[in-house]
Amino acid sequence: MKHIMVTGGSRGLGLGIVIHLLNQGYKVSTCSRNKTTAVDDLVNNNEHVKWFQCEVGNAEQTATFVKSACEWAEVPLWGLINNAGIAKEGVLATFPNVESDALLQVNLNGALYFAREVLRVFLRQNTAGRIINISSIIGSRGYTGLAAYSASKAGLDGLTRALARENGRRNITVNSIAPGYLDTEMSSTLSDKKRDQIIRRTPMHRLGTVADITPAISFLLSDEAAFITGQTLTIDGGITN
Amino acid sequence: MSNLADIILNETRQIIENKAEVCPEITVESEFLVDLPMDSLDLATLIVTLELTTGIDPFRDGFKTFHSIAELIALYEGAAV
Ligand SMILES: NC(=O)c1ccc[n+]([C@@H]2O[C@H](COP(=O)([O-])OP(=O)(O)OC[C@H]3O[C@@H](n4cnc5c(N)ncnc54)[C@H](OP(=O)(O)O)[C@@H]3O)[C@@H](O)[C@H]2O)c1
Repeated sequence: MKHIMVTGGSRGLGLGIVIHLLNQGYKVSTCSRNKTTAVDDLVNNNEHVKWFQCEVGNAEQTATFVKSACEWAEVPLWGLINNAGIAKEGVLATFPNVESDALLQVNLNGALYFAREVLRVFLRQNTAGRIINISSIIGSRGYTGLAAYSASKAGLDGLTRALARENGRRNITVNSIAPGYLDTEMSSTLSDKKRDQIIRRTPMHRLGTVADITPAISFLLSDEAAFITGQTLTIDGGITN
Repeated sequence: MSNLADIILNETRQIIENKAEVCPEITVESEFLVDLPMDSLDLATLIVTLELTTGIDPFRDGFKTFHSIAELIALYEGAAV
């Protein structure tokens, strides 16, 4: 059995990833700031999953979580899914600096701190491993009102490419998955008008679902994907075509 | 030789041998990336292992340059006091 760590697994895409990986036979540790009933139900009914409270973006809490999760799992760590993220909207000219600092701290520094801790575990274990960063099509395309978010995701893709080069010789692969617009809490603030516009412009004529993303995660975690690294895989129903 | 020096020499040897490499003679003058069959990730492995075994992290407050085993020993001995 292999251990996978998923950040932000209490709801939305993260929760979907946790459930998918459990069904695939992985042992899964996850974290978020708040516990949800969905996580409670999962943990109470499955001994192969554990939730920890951890603030992504806080280096000390990250180190503590990674250590505790590895002790709990008792099997080697195989992968990290850097999923936790926040989005806030507003044109940059009036976007408070404290808000962009906070967003970059979670989406970019948070992922970097996690990658650092997990790479240290891989080195100690002397094993191969997988890191998957959940990016967004906004990272390469941009979007009005999402400058800080866009910068954070573009940064994440840069992190993916650099870490892929740095760690390839240890058979550690690092990739990004860039979803299009997903039907989760994060996108619930989209106005009906914007939502309709996105659906009209998407060749598949709908928003993405968590189930559209999870198969790509298990593929990138698999042995079959051992030669794929440094890539950003776009899953967006064709909207960025 | 100090206990820390012993630990550093032993861990270095271990990492080289784990790569199925014949370990050359290691002296405190040996430079990690020049005289020993080690790359930057081996060096990272050494630092991570040393932090675990000694509880000391001389790099907590930022980069510190070292090339040789003696220089690394000095960093750990400095951080231990
Ligand atoms: N939804 C979309 O349309 C879409 C599209 C492309 C990419 N993405 C990306 O997909 C990822 C997941 O998005 P989602 O739609 O599932 O979002 P979501 O429904 O808002 O869920 C976000 C998850 O991250 C956790 N989280 C947020 N900030 C955290 C922090 N500082 N520390 C620890 N956990 C934190 C949340 O739990 P707590 O709040 O309790 O901490 C929650 O579990 C994000 O990286 C997002 O950028 C989403």
